[in-house]
Amino acid sequence: MSAILSADDLNDFISPGVACIKPVETLPLHKPSPSSNPYEVTTEETVHAENPPPAQISLTDCLACSGCVTSAEAVLVSLQSHSEVLETVGRCRELRPEWLGGAESEGNGMVNGQGDGVQEKIFIASISPQTRASLAATYGVSEREAGYMIDQLLSGPYGLRAGGAHGSGFTWVLDTNVMREACLVAAADEAQQMLDDREAGLKRPVLTSACPGWVCYAEKTHPHVLPHLSKLKSPQAMTGTLVKSVLARKYGIPPEKIWHMAVMPCFDKKLEASRIELTSHAWAGEEAERVRDVDCVITARELLMLAESRNISFPCLPRTPLSKTFRPPFPDPAINRLLFPPTRKPKRSTASFEPSAIGTSDGYLHHILLTQQSRHPSSSIKVHRGRNADVSDYSVLSAEGVEVFRAARYYGFRNIQNLVRRLKPAKVSRMPGATRRPAGGRLRKPAGGGEAEYAYVEVMACPGGCTNGGGQIKVGDVMTLRQGGTGMSNGGDQEIVPAQKEWLARVDEAYWSAESGDEGVDESVDEDGDHDMTNADTSNGLTNVNANGSHANGDGVGDIIDGIDRSRVKAFFDRWAEATGVEYEKLVFTTFRAVESDVGKAKPVGDMERVAGLAVQVGGGW
Amino acid sequence: MPSILPLCTLTPPSASRLWSSHPHPTLPLIATASSDKTVRLYSLASLDLESTITGGHKRSIRSCAWKPSSGVKSGESVLATGSFDASCGVWRRWEQGTGIGKLAKGLEKGKGTEWEGLGAEGEPEEDERDFTRGLAGGAEEEDEDEDEWRFAVILDGHDSEIKSLAFSPTAPLLATCSRDKSVWIWEELEDDNFETVAVLQEHDGDVKCVAWSPVEELLVSGSYDNAIRVWREDVDDWACCGLLEGHSGTVWWVEFEGADRFGKVGAGASDSLSAEQQILLEQRKAAGPRIISCSDDLTIRIWRRVPKEIKEQPTGQGKMPSIWKNRDFEEEWVQECVLPKAHERAVYAVSWSRKTGRVVSTGSDGKVVVYEERWKGGRNGEGDSAMADASAVSGRVEGRKDEATGSSTEWMVVAEVENAHDVFEVNHVVWAPRADKGKIGEDEEVIVTTGDDGEVKVWLLNDD
Repeated sequence: MSAILSADDLNDFISPGVACIKPVETLPLHKPSPSSNPYEVTTEETVHAENPPPAQISLTDCLACSGCVTSAEAVLVSLQSHSEVLETVGRCRELRPEWLGGAESEGNGMVNGQGDGVQEKIFIASISPQTRASLAATYGVSEREAGYMIDQLLSGPYGLRAGGAHGSGFTWVLDTNVMREACLVAAADEAQQMLDDREAGLKRPVLTSACPGWVCYAEKTHPHVLPHLSKLKSPQAMTGTLVKSVLARKYGIPPEKIWHMAVMPCFDKKLEASRIELTSHAWAGEEAERVRDVDCVITARELLMLAESRNISFPCLPRTPLSKTFRPPFPDPAINRLLFPPTRKPKRSTASFEPSAIGTSDGYLHHILLTQQSRHPSSSIKVHRGRNADVSDYSVLSAEGVEVFRAARYYGFRNIQNLVRRLKPAKVSRMPGATRRPAGGRLRKPAGGGEAEYAYVEVMACPGGCTNGGGQIKVGDVMTLRQGGTGMSNGGDQEIVPAQKEWLARVDEAYWSAESGDEGVDESVDEDGDHDMTNADTSNGLTNVNANGSHANGDGVGDIIDGIDRSRVKAFFDRWAEATGVEYEKLVFTTFRAVESDVGKAKPVGDMERVAGLAVQVGGGW
Repeated sequence: MPSILPLCTLTPPSASRLWSSHPHPTLPLIATASSDKTVRLYSLASLDLESTITGGHKRSIRSCAWKPSSGVKSGESVLATGSFDASCGVWRRWEQGTGIGKLAKGLEKGKGTEWEGLGAEGEPEEDERDFTRGLAGGAEEEDEDEDEWRFAVILDGHDSEIKSLAFSPTAPLLATCSRDKSVWIWEELEDDNFETVAVLQEHDGDVKCVAWSPVEELLVSGSYDNAIRVWREDVDDWACCGLLEGHSGTVWWVEFEGADRFGKVGAGASDSLSAEQQILLEQRKAAGPRIISCSDDLTIRIWRRVPKEIKEQPTGQGKMPSIWKNRDFEEEWVQECVLPKAHERAVYAVSWSRKTGRVVSTGSDGKVVVYEERWKGGRNGEGDSAMADASAVSGRVEGRKDEATGSSTEWMVVAEVENAHDVFEVNHVVWAPRADKGKIGEDEEVIVTTGDDGEVKVWLLNDD
């Protein structure tokens, strides 16, 4: 939804976005002097006529409305832009694992290899599948090739490493799909837990919390839904926690030595990265400095700007995998194996469903449905399309045809409205005295009584889901981009919706091609012509269960669900906790809170102090 | 030469500012939105306050909308209220007591259609209620006073003041618009169960007004961003299908031409029309109802849709078209004309008579002005003399002719009155069927103005 905001737009002061839904009326701190008449219409005119003071919208106000940020947020979000990436990568020397002590070394990782006072950092990037899909559709390459091109840009010899003061590049480029699998398994467990124990924990239905636009909106406007929000971190956040916790521990370096960038389909992910809940304090205790798990989020468009700033032609980058020499193994062998699987297996078998059933937003609902289905032998999943393409209703039916699980998908602001309204607790009418009959009961019944019966709802702020995120490449830019320029003219004319839809369909197709493994299982051959050998590595202690086997284990669920090996994921979680010495709960869960907007309230401190305060608070580092 | 004559002020007036008045679709009732958080329902027959809706909203009620009679149970009135508290309330009342009973009485007297027999006598209605009670909605309603407005549902979602709202006459849809710059469309799935079907955010400013087409599911909105937008449902979602630019100030009011009016000019007699005039009327029928708008820029403009031609699909050889346009969805609207300038300050409201095609406007300068569209050149009996008369009085004969039309009609001011609400601004004006004792003809209309002085005034357009 926040299609308007891009780093280009960020300057010292930004007026509320074109579709800002924050009431400007409450903003003026002084009444226009000549007209003391509280004539509502006149007041507004006068407010607009006089230059109003900058709208003050706190960071925790969301961008879901379509992207309005003000000075404080602009500073914070501008800390996450392609120029920030350039600046950091240019200024700092890349801290190569081979310069660091071996695994579990004690503290000597701090040593500056060159002794010249240049800051050193480990650079690590994680790439969302939607970003790859967007670039794939833009340049007419496969989703996998787009991934290779990104690897080449960030890690390869023709990419960032070809320039900059220190020739720094990204040591590891991860696919957030890896952690997404972990998230999906944990999400399925969380949903099951809610069903098993209705007294404790989450309220029914559980709502997805991976979409930062939706989360911010809920925190700000609908606190009553917060007890429904899944406590799981998003794949971005969990990847951030993983790399910082593991690398800091393994190399014995403080987390601020690790600089983690995520490339996401959505500007709101920048705000997610700024959340105070997603910092080292959540998992490393509060003694040390607070460091964000994700230092910087950029989008596909900004990735292209990054390339252009270094005079790199993104479409000319090799569409082949990077040589291993550019990618040292991740220090923990088990985690290395997870992060860089030997072959890219088809993630999900599409034998029994259309790829579109996965959706475009990481497939939480789909995975949970398949998990539920596996708990009920011979059960089937019934899909009921809602009033528009962004709403659907799903039931798992037992062999006898009894509904055993009900869930739904709600994408887009208009549909979210209907969901939150129906989750609102029944209360006495806001209209006392209007009638002798309370407004609840008969008059407030939801359509078909459905929402309360859902066990899980996948909620995303963008219509069409994450492939349609605000940071994706706009159809209006595609022609220019293909001709070589970056054409970043703020999206061009985006008014014509059907065209955008057609474009979206292509991006979705690219996204699903990766999901369903249509590209076939490749024996990935790297630049040197070597076959990947990692599949021979069985010394890591993780059992690799036969991918076709679906034998039941202790929790009554098959092991391979939706192409994801549950026991392998669980072994990974155990390994992660063990490797870092941090409890599982601290690593994978987060919290949400109702946010009182400070819009229109008296400002206790000046702008600069406030900005500085916020920046310090979130570890903005300036 | 027509003139605007005051008929009366509805009694009692309000102690606080009134925003707008909305005639009931069938009954001689008018609902007035008040800044004291109430809706005042005046009888257009007795010209008195008939009931008040209170207790619902926390701030000024800016506007209200009656659900069209096609969408409600027989004998029930449904009113939606839009408030500065950002919420929209829906209210219901059984009208058997006041409506059907009275109707029966009215019919006995041979007075004609539904609302006409009503309340002119100003009698208490207690007698009638009893014999209709059995129809009044079943046992569960028994404990309710049937005269009473019942709060049915509240629609939350807007972030800021609701400025206007409208029920679609062709579908179970309600549109609301707000200072939060958005237009929301709600669908009523069953009674009082509303779902948000669209949140339209293309406007860059406060959205002042929404109105539905009388013949299709087409919505128009006017905004502080000076633009008018037309909205329609595409494959799966509502989207903006037309952008009408031309106003240089806030668009305060937009409205469609009446369903029975488009394709007519003046009295509408078509027997003596020239071929050229016939063609114009055919074109108008093909284009559908026009839109009228008024603005802070002191103008009142009329817009018409350019009828679709069947176009060939562009045949690109596997090329991606440089401009992605869906010609089936987009609509082209052009400014047809600007009405003669009659206001010195912002024009807040216009109303396009469903019966006569006349337009009445009002605004900040306290004037009420009536306009009429006529054939140019004095054909069709309207005559040069009529035009000359008008010009002599008003001194402002014709509006700016627009190139887009080459129209053979022109608009002229036929009557006006100044200081309609003394020194106060007039916030709203609307045509309503006449229902008081003095009513002469079936189609007779009154002009109802709503002002900052808390008064709702009724005016007659005297055609003599």
